Amino acid sequence: MITIKKLTKVYQNGQFQVEALRSVNLTVEAKEFVSIMGPSGSGKSTMMNIIGCLDRSTSGEYYLDEVSISSLKDDALADIRNKKIGFVFQSFNLLPKLTALENVELPMVYAGIGAKERKDRAMDALKKVGLEERVYHKPNELSGGQRQRVAIARALVNEPSILLADEPTGNLDSRSGEEIMGIFQDLNQEGATIVMVTHEPEIAAYTKRIVTFRDGEIISDELVENPLSTRRNFL
Amino acid sequence: MNLIESVKSAFRSVFSNKMRSFLTMLGIIIGISSVIMITSVGQGSQVALTGEFDKLGVNMLTISLKDPSKATSRDQLTMEDIEIIKNHPQVTSVTPLYQGGNAQIQLRNPKEYRSSILIGVNESYKDISALDFLYGRFLIDTDVKMKSKVAIIDDGLAKEIFGYDDVIGQQVYVQVKQVKHPFTVIGVIKNPMGDFASLFPDQIPAMLYMPIGAVHDLYGTNQIQNFAVAIQDKDRINDTSLELTKMLEKKHRNENQYYVQSATESLDVINKVLGYFTAFISFVAGISLLVGGIGVMNIMLVTVTERTREIGIRKSLGAKNKDIRIQFLIEAMILTIIGGLIGIGFGYLGGLGIGSLMKITPKVSLVVVLLTVTLSSMIGIIFGVYPANKAAKLDPIEALRYE
Ligand SMILES: Nc1ncnc2c1ncn2[C@@H]1O[C@H](COP(=O)(O)OP(=O)(O)O)[C@@H](O)[C@H]1O
Ligand SMILES: [Mg+2]
Repeated sequence: MITIKKLTKVYQNGQFQVEALRSVNLTVEAKEFVSIMGPSGSGKSTMMNIIGCLDRSTSGEYYLDEVSISSLKDDALADIRNKKIGFVFQSFNLLPKLTALENVELPMVYAGIGAKERKDRAMDALKKVGLEERVYHKPNELSGGQRQRVAIARALVNEPSILLADEPTGNLDSRSGEEIMGIFQDLNQEGATIVMVTHEPEIAAYTKRIVTFRDGEIISDELVENPLSTRRNFL
Repeated sequence: MNLIESVKSAFRSVFSNKMRSFLTMLGIIIGISSVIMITSVGQGSQVALTGEFDKLGVNMLTISLKDPSKATSRDQLTMEDIEIIKNHPQVTSVTPLYQGGNAQIQLRNPKEYRSSILIGVNESYKDISALDFLYGRFLIDTDVKMKSKVAIIDDGLAKEIFGYDDVIGQQVYVQVKQVKHPFTVIGVIKNPMGDFASLFPDQIPAMLYMPIGAVHDLYGTNQIQNFAVAIQDKDRINDTSLELTKMLEKKHRNENQYYVQSATESLDVINKVLGYFTAFISFVAGISLLVGGIGVMNIMLVTVTERTREIGIRKSLGAKNKDIRIQFLIEAMILTIIGGLIGIGFGYLGGLGIGSLMKITPKVSLVVVLLTVTLSSMIGIIFGVYPANKAAKLDPIEALRYE
């Protein structure tokens, strides 16, 4: 599903160069549930942004579903973000003036899907994350956990190949964080491929594989023997 | 993303910040409303003037001396010329005109006077001009033959002298060369300039119509300044002008002394002047539109900066550069088009205001409205392109990181 070879990312900060990623190799297969860990500044977000086609690598190869991403133009990248990638951010990144439903509809608006189908699918997605009662609420009328669930619904709604989440529980209390992990586990159960950044070992424990970064390099990549299961079923 | 979605979301953001949107539109509103106000009044007065000329008939000519200061006594127009002109088959009526200036008319308070023009004509004048009678009648041929001391005055003057307007049979006192002469009022017409004239009674002299002979006697002259001639067929106006000139030249045995002017000619001149005037004011309004457009650009740039994060979010969800560009372009256009529509409304109201002062009906034509709407959307495009491009080119990651 994801094949990354010798990927580097260099930031030019005036006179200084920051090597955020140094020759990273990584493969993620379909239906995996991977967490990326590592100290702050180790390159986790940089990696996620490149996988999510939000950013470009400086060198190296990146294949998503056998398509070489490195050579694509802006519009093609936008298309991939729209159809193949669902991104969940630490700070939710919902549009404050839109309702939950309208936020979830947005990726479909850019996919050119008609209003009726958009609404139906957005409703389904919100139902899936347990927010069918909150569809007409604006983000500021929702709790952090609920906002993140709206963001997950939005990430899922175009049925992407892969779900990427950069510290999705970072702004949440532990209870809400656990809820989010429950949703991810259920989605993974249903066949979703998920790559998630976290620096909390308790959160990573819910995933099936942990990749650890330090100074822009992968220092370990191991499977989790017995992934923790959330006590309740959220979906 | 389709257009309807873009328009919807643009409307939403324009209306979510009403005060700012309104202030942004203000320049456009002022610009467009002045364009509409000026063109509506301009077109209205053009229509009114054309109407006046239609009433007069476009088949009217005036004959005068080309240069009265160089004319000899042989060249002077005379009463006998009337018969010559009447002989032309196209001519339906003729009146001589002598306008006596420097006259004073005594007002209600016998010590007060208003300056007047005494217009000496014959009975045919009523066929040629468009006098609007309120009371009484115009001159008849016996008035003219007898040089009767009768006058037709307008309602404004009647009120100034008598305090009311139905003054048939009353005497008015006209002072010419220090001598006062009584005239009997036989007709009251509506002041053709309307209330506009009564606002400035000192600037605009009163006009009195009298038998030409009577006016001649007051001034001790028999000069005729011009003839007003009505003809049958307006398509033959040019031929008739030439032929009439020839006939007069033959009678007076001179050449190149007479000047024939048709009503259409003066209408053309007036229209041209009005046209230049409208163009000039529109140019000034255009500058305010330019300033308005720059205001729109300025606010759009601020909007783009403020909404950097939104742009990042939209891009992360798959918005292409062109989706973002169109979104902001449409927002700019909505601002300018709504501004334009409000401007059309205000401009029309302003036109009504000025029109009621000038006694004309302002006219807003569909063409002008369509042009203005097109103009406002063009302003939106022209001044929205730069901010919209700036938004479209934002890097998704940097935009998402923007606080
Ligand atoms: N836009 C940028 N410009 C310059 N340096 C950057 C930029 N983004 C990230 N970096 C640097 O790259 C390194 C990796 O950052 P990041 O991927 O955000 O780390 P993490 O998410 O693991 O905390 C850090 O040293 C950071 O300072
Ligand atoms: Mg990070």
